[in-house]
Amino acid sequence: MLLLLAAVLLMSFTCLLIGSSHMSIRECIEALSGRGSASQIRILRSIRLPRVFAALIAGAGLSVSGLMMQTALDNPMASPSTLGVSNAAVFGANLSIIAFSGGYLSTGHNVENYTAAASPYATSLLAFAFAALSILLILGLCRIKSFSPSVVVLSGIAMGSVWTAATTVLQFYATDVGLSAAVVWSFGDLGRASYKTDAIMLLVTVPGYLVFACYRWHCNALLSGDATARSMGISVDRLRFTMLLLSSLITAVIVSFLGIIGFLGIICPHLVKKLMGEDHRITLPLSALSGSLLLLLADTLSRSMGNGSALPVGAVTSLLGAPFFVGILLSKKGE
Amino acid sequence: MLKIENLRFSYARREAEILRGLELELPAGKVGILLGKNGCGKTTLFKSVLGIEKPGEGKISFAGKELNSFSPRERAKLVAYVPQHIHFGNLSVYDSILMGRVAYFGSKAGESDRAVVDAIISEMGLESFAERNAEALSGGEKQKIAIARALAQEPALLIFDEPTGNLDMANEQLIIREARRLAEKRAITILSSLHDLNQALQMGDCFYLMRDGVIRYAGGSEILTPEHIREIFDIDIRIIEIDGEKIIIGGKQHETL
Repeated sequence: MLLLLAAVLLMSFTCLLIGSSHMSIRECIEALSGRGSASQIRILRSIRLPRVFAALIAGAGLSVSGLMMQTALDNPMASPSTLGVSNAAVFGANLSIIAFSGGYLSTGHNVENYTAAASPYATSLLAFAFAALSILLILGLCRIKSFSPSVVVLSGIAMGSVWTAATTVLQFYATDVGLSAAVVWSFGDLGRASYKTDAIMLLVTVPGYLVFACYRWHCNALLSGDATARSMGISVDRLRFTMLLLSSLITAVIVSFLGIIGFLGIICPHLVKKLMGEDHRITLPLSALSGSLLLLLADTLSRSMGNGSALPVGAVTSLLGAPFFVGILLSKKGE
Repeated sequence: MLKIENLRFSYARREAEILRGLELELPAGKVGILLGKNGCGKTTLFKSVLGIEKPGEGKISFAGKELNSFSPRERAKLVAYVPQHIHFGNLSVYDSILMGRVAYFGSKAGESDRAVVDAIISEMGLESFAERNAEALSGGEKQKIAIARALAQEPALLIFDEPTGNLDMANEQLIIREARRLAEKRAITILSSLHDLNQALQMGDCFYLMRDGVIRYAGGSEILTPEHIREIFDIDIRIIEIDGEKIIIGGKQHETL
């Protein structure tokens, strides 16, 4: 645990030192302490630092959400987006960009006008609104039917398909500019982070994590099966509802601000469980730390490989994580 | 005493009833054995006693208190369960047993919880297992850990669902002896289902012959007659006595004209 924490701190610091402005380590440290040039201080404090905070918070949030989804649904393929949260957020963002983005539809599709009119907060807000709507619809449906894992997963798949179809229809009627803006939004990008967005993500992720931590023994009991957990005094449906709601809310906020960062919510909890077992007292903090570490690493690589412009960090998490993940699955330690 | 009155249950409103006005009385500190074919409603009865399923009608009371009036946590301090299929989620034996205390401690185990677990581990001779992965143990060892976990709940009533279902002969005997010892030493009332009639005779004080959601016969070992067994299981058996001990032989499918 301490080793992972040290790795996260080291990676955070490394992340601060790397960027397209090619500042030296000394310049970075000076700028961080407020002694460099105004532009250097601005780069460090207003661009790199919020980006590192975003990676720390979003990585931990998505990874912990994935772990909770997998436990709640007793399904190793469950991810933070199992309730169709990401699909709904993408629809909301597309709606905002394609249909409501200021005057761009009526200004001859002028890119400059579009950029000037589009508000990132409006897009995030609408993305979150639809993600929240999706969560409420699915949890509402499950409340009527049941909170059995199969009902939740199938409802999530169905709802996700509806949002994807609706997004396709929207994109069909979009202009080239709108379409490309919408597609670019869906790429996960930590560059959109600011202190304000970091604070909002933190305000959702930290209380969510603390609630999960309070339920760590209940989650362990859930691994014994629903009937056994109930016989130990656990209100399984209430626990499942809480876990699904909080995981989806954390995911919805992160996706709404940063776009889709795929695979991280599956890979990190899996790696932790393969290496350390399933005890939530251990997997919960380790999933959070490994999520932060992977996202920091992926972001650093995405900025190093993009030749001046960062590659989508979501693609890098998958490219980076998948081979490592398969390696662990095939290794003896993972048996 | 465990007292069940007019218990009715069906999984959906329009579906046939699984339990049809079931009545059962099991004296405190005794081992009661439910015998019946697969699908006769034994597991549903257990789930109703444990509060996992809500019966449509009827009353389940223990020591004069209606179980439905308890919150899940309070109920778990009174009734514990040893399931047929046991999973521990790759926890250590110690943590698996400690998990039985979750109704007491909520989110963080305290000294008193660990003291209870230590006492159970010592009583059941599990010291050498304590740090091992409970999921990697043999069937008999897992069954013992599941019993230890249930004991950590400090229950007055223990429900066993087919405790010897997946065990070899040596482990079957071990679990039966353990169940009897617990009932006597800790004065725990035990309600168990079993398929093997001879094991039932070894383990039980009271017997309940169940068919189609009702108890057809209840009483001591004297109710285990060839006629009753034929009515419940559709099989023909013979009962012999060796050194005063009843042994049930046979199990041929009953041929009807």
